[in-house]
Amino acid sequence: MNIEHFLHKSTANWMQGEGQYDDIVMSTRIRLARNLMDFRFPRAFSEEEAMQIDKAVSNVLIDADEEQQSQFSYFSLHDMPVLQRQVLVEKHLISPQLADKVKAGSVLLSDDESISVMINEEDHIRIQCLQPGLQLAKAYENAEQIDRLLERHLPYAFDDTFGYLTSCPTNTGTGLRASIMMHLPALTMTNQIGSLISTMPRLGMVVRGMYGEGTESVGNYYQISNQITLGKSEKDILADLKSVTEQIIQKETEARTALMEHASIALADRLNRSLGTLLYARILTSEEAANCLSNVRLGIYLGIIQNIPVFVLNECMLYMQPGFLQQHAGTTLQANERDVYRASLLRERLQCNRELKKGQFDEEGEDSYDV
Amino acid sequence: MICEHCKQRPATITVTQMKNGKKMTRHFCEVCNKQLDSFHLNLDFNADPISMHQLFSNWFGTPSWSVAAPNANEQKAQQQDTCPECGMNYRQFLNEGKFNCPSCYDTFKEQLPHVLKRLHNGAVEHVGKAPGSINEAYQTKKQIEAIRVDMKIAIEEERFEDAASMRDKVRVLEKKLQVGGESQDEH
Repeated sequence: MNIEHFLHKSTANWMQGEGQYDDIVMSTRIRLARNLMDFRFPRAFSEEEAMQIDKAVSNVLIDADEEQQSQFSYFSLHDMPVLQRQVLVEKHLISPQLADKVKAGSVLLSDDESISVMINEEDHIRIQCLQPGLQLAKAYENAEQIDRLLERHLPYAFDDTFGYLTSCPTNTGTGLRASIMMHLPALTMTNQIGSLISTMPRLGMVVRGMYGEGTESVGNYYQISNQITLGKSEKDILADLKSVTEQIIQKETEARTALMEHASIALADRLNRSLGTLLYARILTSEEAANCLSNVRLGIYLGIIQNIPVFVLNECMLYMQPGFLQQHAGTTLQANERDVYRASLLRERLQCNRELKKGQFDEEGEDSYDV
Repeated sequence: MICEHCKQRPATITVTQMKNGKKMTRHFCEVCNKQLDSFHLNLDFNADPISMHQLFSNWFGTPSWSVAAPNANEQKAQQQDTCPECGMNYRQFLNEGKFNCPSCYDTFKEQLPHVLKRLHNGAVEHVGKAPGSINEAYQTKKQIEAIRVDMKIAIEEERFEDAASMRDKVRVLEKKLQVGGESQDEH
């Protein structure tokens, strides 16, 4: 597969939200950090070591095609223009850290985009598996499969006491980070999110923004993941994260119900105004666009907004990001130019879908609701 | 208008900054603006993973909970231990918060539990899976360790018969470990 396949597909696979609890949980991500014995970690290794590791890991995955369900395509970050790297980050196929590793970094992507193996990021190997909705077991199983394949051919750096050895001591042990991306607009609106975030560390969990470590929350999306990787088995880590996630889902559902009961008009007003903004604005910053899309998404799941399919929103979430916008425009755009382009792109995308939907309603002899 | 910074030269440049959502307008002379401007740029470059490492070194370096200061031996060890593979020493690790190679773990194994405890809620030992190749031996070792702990408790509680049967179990497992090791060598 060439890079175009991964760049131009407008919806990432993990966004095809058919998973469990897809009104609240966007996606599940599993990441395993692994390193090879007898090589220094990427922060200290030589170019020669980098090349050897790159070759060893990619050979195993590419040669294993017959025994493997998924086929992998290899891309070196070195040959990749900045914009393409940015698009891959925005699709969550590579980490922002890998995008900066122009010298040594590379990535192997499975055709369906659900698995990416990053080479020479912070660790020699980072196996990442994405699934839509809440699917910890499935995502972990996929990661395990790649892990087993690699460990058959490559000597991992492992210690009886410390487990899998990683560059950062926060990953030592299982090297497992499991994350759930959640959309929590009602908890945010009712000002409960702050206390939720501050209780997470006590449960051994951590809350981050959309693109992982060091990023802020955009559009009420929060990523919840395990903080502890040592002294806990993989099974327990996943089980604990699942139970915390389910409690948050319950809280968000309760907050949504409460909003509907106590402030349905004010809520409907706010959510429809956001739809109005997306449909008619001529300048949209990414922050405003993300907030409006978040409101419209909530509106859809609460039945307040009817004639927009969720997949269009997911597409818009991807499209509105700087890298995607510029790729779509086919040229580099300054921040203010992007805001104009973003507004027109989202307007077009949402309006054409509304008309399409309206047409369907008319054929079925139903009145469209906004007369 | 006079430059806000040097308060001497006339202000010829107006700078508008957004700070915490508030718009701030400031007036500088050309000389000061140049200085301040390059200063801002530097800040931008440094904006990446700043505090994380700093944070670590604070965490690792000063054990706030520990009453006893590190004894002389330990301090000596901290200064002397240098990883034979990559040349990293313990002080460097504390400052940077990251290891340079897998052997660092072995080099700093005396000091590490103290660091790992803080990061992983008191845990210092891996209990999850292991690579298939070393899996069996690894599981056996873990089993032996667990039984030894139980055995100690049994002895303390004067349940000597239990302790004896546990000792036998350990012997069997240790034998298995040896045989396993030999058969692996034959491969």
